[in-house]
Amino acid sequence: MKGLSSLERVVLESLGKDVLGYEEIRHQAGLLENVFHNVLQALIIRGLIATDGTKYRIAEKISPLILEEINGKSAKQAEYLELIEAVIYQEPKRIFHIQKIAMDSKDEKIFGALLHNLESFLADAHKKAVKSTSVKERKVIFWGMSDVESLMTQIVSGN
Amino acid sequence: MTLQQKTLHRYRQLFPTKPLREISASTGIQITRVFRLFNGKIMKVGELEAFEKAINEKIHENPHAENLTNLIEEASVILTSDELKKITEYVARKVSARNFARCENQCNYQTANIA
Repeated sequence: MKGLSSLERVVLESLGKDVLGYEEIRHQAGLLENVFHNVLQALIIRGLIATDGTKYRIAEKISPLILEEINGKSAKQAEYLELIEAVIYQEPKRIFHIQKIAMDSKDEKIFGALLHNLESFLADAHKKAVKSTSVKERKVIFWGMSDVESLMTQIVSGN
Repeated sequence: MTLQQKTLHRYRQLFPTKPLREISASTGIQITRVFRLFNGKIMKVGELEAFEKAINEKIHENPHAENLTNLIEEASVILTSDELKKITEYVARKVSARNFARCENQCNYQTANIA
């Protein structure tokens, strides 16, 4: 598989720029023991995580080719899809809403401004809590908007 | 990986904890022979077929598996290269996530293999 799975990304994000022990990373990531073990091993094998046997850190020299593979557009799209799908199928605690809305141009502008406010709020919220909140406790939030016609055209064309 | 290794690997993915005695009963291969096969002895064609049959039976217990096989055949003919790439990536991610969760099974598999 090209790119990173969401599981691998969570482990890398849990590690961040720090040098951490096995349990510290697992606490951040919140994965089951066997899953975490396998993901960590996979990342070490891929050369993305370096270890001295007890402590782990993100490898210093990752080739641009590998970076493109894990952070490139198609890899990110596949990863977003994985997360959004997980939210859609999640039963408890889920918030998900999708609707076709009739909206005139004035309301569309208002909506854009509201989204802008929302982005600012989320950026501030993240900044405030990023140090005190583990990766596993963070919220996955997404939004998007397009018009029905262009989406249908895209679905038919297969792009 | 040889065809035999692939077959045994797939078999163990589907039946991670099945003891040799039950493998013997379901494939019709003697238990000592099953033990040897899992330890690298070369299979006869009939033995390979017995394992493949057990694998196929297990796969077809899931009605979606056959649909998927049929759809993939159709998709590979009519979809564009980009669409196939997306589907491949999607399936690869599903398989990867499942493999990450598999350790427990593999551990049992090793135990069962020794038993």
